[in-house]
Amino acid sequence: MKYDQSRIRNFCIIAHIDHGKSTLADRILEKTGVMQLREMTDQVLDSMELERERGITIKSKAVRMPYTAKDGTEYELNLIDTPGHVDFTYEVSRALAACEGAVLVVDASQGIEAQTLANVYMALDHDLEIRPVINKIDLPSAQPEVVKQEIEDEIGIDCEGCPLVSAKQGIGIEDVLEDIVNNIPAPQDDTDAPLQALIFDSYYDNYRGAISSVRVKAGSVKVGDRIRMMAGKCEFDVTEVGAYLPLGYSPRESLNAGEVGYIAASIKDIADIHVGDTITLATNPAAEPLPGYKPVLPMVYCGIYPADGADYESLRDALEKLRLNDAALSFEPETSVALGYGFRCGFLGLLHMEIIQQRLEREFDLDLVTTAPSVVYKVVKTDGETVLIDNPTNLPPVQEIDWMEEPMVDAQVITPQDYVGAIMELCQDKRGTFRDMKYIEGGRVLLKYDLPLNEVIYDFFDQLKSRTRGYASFDYELKGYERSDLVKLDMLLNGEQCDALSIIVHRDRAYPRGRSIAEKLKDAIPRQLFEIPIQAAIGGKVIARETVKALRKDVLAKCYGGDISRKKKLLEKQKEGKKRMRQVGSVSVPSEAFMAVLKMD
Amino acid sequence: MNIHSSFLIPHSSLSLYVHVPFCVRKCAYCDFASFPGREADWGRYFDEIMAEIRLWSETTDFGLLSEKYRIKTLFIGGGTPTLVDAGYIEKTIDACRRIAPFEPGAEITAEGNPGTLTPGKLAAYRRAGVNRLSLGAQSFDEGLLRSLGRIHTAGQIGEAVTMAREAGFDNINLDLMYALPGQGMDQWADALDAAIALGVEHLSAYSLIVEPGTPMAARVALGAATVPDDDAVNAMQRQAIARLDAAGYRRYEISNYARPGRECRHNLVYWNRGDYLGLGCAAHSLLGGRRFHNPESLDDYLAGVRRQDEVRLTLRDEMEETLMLSTRTVRGLDLAAWENAYGAPFERRREAAIGRLERGGLIEIGGGHLRLTTRGMEVQDAVVLELLGENE
Repeated sequence: MKYDQSRIRNFCIIAHIDHGKSTLADRILEKTGVMQLREMTDQVLDSMELERERGITIKSKAVRMPYTAKDGTEYELNLIDTPGHVDFTYEVSRALAACEGAVLVVDASQGIEAQTLANVYMALDHDLEIRPVINKIDLPSAQPEVVKQEIEDEIGIDCEGCPLVSAKQGIGIEDVLEDIVNNIPAPQDDTDAPLQALIFDSYYDNYRGAISSVRVKAGSVKVGDRIRMMAGKCEFDVTEVGAYLPLGYSPRESLNAGEVGYIAASIKDIADIHVGDTITLATNPAAEPLPGYKPVLPMVYCGIYPADGADYESLRDALEKLRLNDAALSFEPETSVALGYGFRCGFLGLLHMEIIQQRLEREFDLDLVTTAPSVVYKVVKTDGETVLIDNPTNLPPVQEIDWMEEPMVDAQVITPQDYVGAIMELCQDKRGTFRDMKYIEGGRVLLKYDLPLNEVIYDFFDQLKSRTRGYASFDYELKGYERSDLVKLDMLLNGEQCDALSIIVHRDRAYPRGRSIAEKLKDAIPRQLFEIPIQAAIGGKVIARETVKALRKDVLAKCYGGDISRKKKLLEKQKEGKKRMRQVGSVSVPSEAFMAVLKMD
Repeated sequence: MNIHSSFLIPHSSLSLYVHVPFCVRKCAYCDFASFPGREADWGRYFDEIMAEIRLWSETTDFGLLSEKYRIKTLFIGGGTPTLVDAGYIEKTIDACRRIAPFEPGAEITAEGNPGTLTPGKLAAYRRAGVNRLSLGAQSFDEGLLRSLGRIHTAGQIGEAVTMAREAGFDNINLDLMYALPGQGMDQWADALDAAIALGVEHLSAYSLIVEPGTPMAARVALGAATVPDDDAVNAMQRQAIARLDAAGYRRYEISNYARPGRECRHNLVYWNRGDYLGLGCAAHSLLGGRRFHNPESLDDYLAGVRRQDEVRLTLRDEMEETLMLSTRTVRGLDLAAWENAYGAPFERRREAAIGRLERGGLIEIGGGHLRLTTRGMEVQDAVVLELLGENE
């Protein structure tokens, strides 16, 4: 098909979790023929094992599909997949900026859910044409008419003639495609202006180097062009441009205004490509970058250590490999008395952290010890100097600290009315400051709180989920720093401080946290030859204490007939076990103990 | 460095172990190589033992043909050696002389079940040179004996000891078990008193090990049997130490007690890493710095399979074994001998661990030995691990 902007449709699919976004995407790929049935696995776009297992989409992707409409017109459809989790909000927002329209999938039996609304608002922010699709009409409990009415009442979108489908059973898929080509506007980008290509994703390909997924907003780009990253300020020679197919690349001569595809330019370091940045031509640069670029800053930090010190180099290699495809991951070497050599890693949020950890363990077969997550604190010293602290170990001595500040977030919770009380209680517990409460359509409430990020990363999601039975949705944005009464809570094992267990915590939280960590450690540390006192202390003052009792009995009664093989095996096993533990003074601490502290409550 | 298998026992001393893998029926806790109902194989089995002895008596491996070699101890264990015809035992002991001559006064022990002794068998043992008898009493409580699946009664234990005395045995051991499901402190005290009253020279007191795959393990898993907790087991052991001490039996190893001079010399060879050669099914050997063993399966043994998993011990293996075995004895680790054999004081690079263990009352150093205290022996495995730690 020849390049013709009026025949291009760039769209994404948005939905509440489990409303069938991935299944609908699969059917669309199938219907347009880019994927043969036999090639189909569930969730084709979610190629990462982890994504498929958890049913979430982590990295954005784009697929080009040819489609011949009922009236015979040929179209080029670009489906841009978006991550759904709050940690990746920025990536979602970039992906939306690459589209003209969004297909809103709503479950015919569930109706509108909190995330439906949050996604709709985000799509409206980007001026997208929103096309509702009622899914799962095959369910006995489906009430498409009721749900259509709900969408009209609550979102104000006309549902007249909207497709009624069952993605699972392949019903109504063509209606969706017809609706897209008829109602989502074609891009109207300036073909003749200097190149402006928005990077909405980046990743590393072993053969092509770091690759940018782009939406060309103006001009065009072809092989041999010298391109410039407008925010990144570096230049490269284009080696390949093209479109994505579900399972690979489709190289083209050029990418033109209105199109979605990829640009490869032998870029060695993924860090040179920033999501949200604008690519232009070095020879004929655009005057201004596209709006909206912001550097991605890690919000949550933790230490990651190999359980076996010998794996340090492997861990470094693994982190470097992951970073090739994940510019938001940052890491630098750090040393801990208890854990040896490892890395201080920065993440977008808790889910991001968990995903990186699991990928390290699965894809690289590493056994890891991860420290409790922490945020970056600001310490204003008595000499006036301000330092940023991302690791409790680096906190200056108490006498040098004038005051400390902690990062705050603007938190927004959308919830059915019934749970307002429970959420307010939770936010109070988490040292939140109430800002606003609004009733929105359908008996739902929007709550706004200022919350310390420190409290958000510590079991807030779990609590929110359990207190609202999963009905509330939560989003946050970093707001800035606020002065706070923070202290460093140390854990002492047999009188020796274990730096890997130290945390910075609000003074009001110190006592319960200290007691809870001490209890966890008591359960996680195996009995040893001597009694082990476990203490939680602030600046030398003990605030909680537990004891691991001494081992009572550990001896083989008999080595029958000179057969010492069992005793040797036992000893080997114990040696192995001890090797996997960290020595804190005379105390052997298993990695589970560190995990126990990480996974509080 | 030339690796010796032991620095305490001269290389010219050899101990022999002969395994008799037959019994009337398996006890509930037993996971040893022991096969009930194989009477038909007794003859073939001892033929294989003879063949194995012949092979060893002809080999030049390990310098066994050296003129200097003397058999210091022989232990015929099982299974139930007293089950089979005494002729097999006599034949076996005779054949052993082909490997090397017995040292004058060599300790020759036969193990047996009180329910299978007869005056005739005992007389035959005496003729063959057996001078020590080790009887599996296990308990003096009829209920406990039944639940253990023993084939004898409490009364038969006393009868067996009397019978042995009459046959001329002046060196008798009784094996006892504690930490049994349903066994209280009083019952254990009664068992100790009953054993003492029989006036034997040696007592072994083993705490029950619930082995996976045994009927006992199944009972425990089902909740039909509950073993005492660690503190109760320790208390039972301490009671054994105290009662036996008062009756003139000194503890000389984690599970062994003897009147002075009546320690089992054969078992001491194991703890001191002297050379020993195991004959028969499932028998283990340590010879010339190598460890190997015969197959656990009776059929494999009968089919001629021998010397499995043979490993040449490294210096580190040897040091580990020395530490882990010598600290089972009350005498402990001979520090001068260690330094002599390995070229560095044992304490070097272990100062911190030794200090901690000493202050904690788990070990003591004196008279040139490092030994575990009573408390230390309760956690011997962990203490050894601690002492090894800095060797890594």
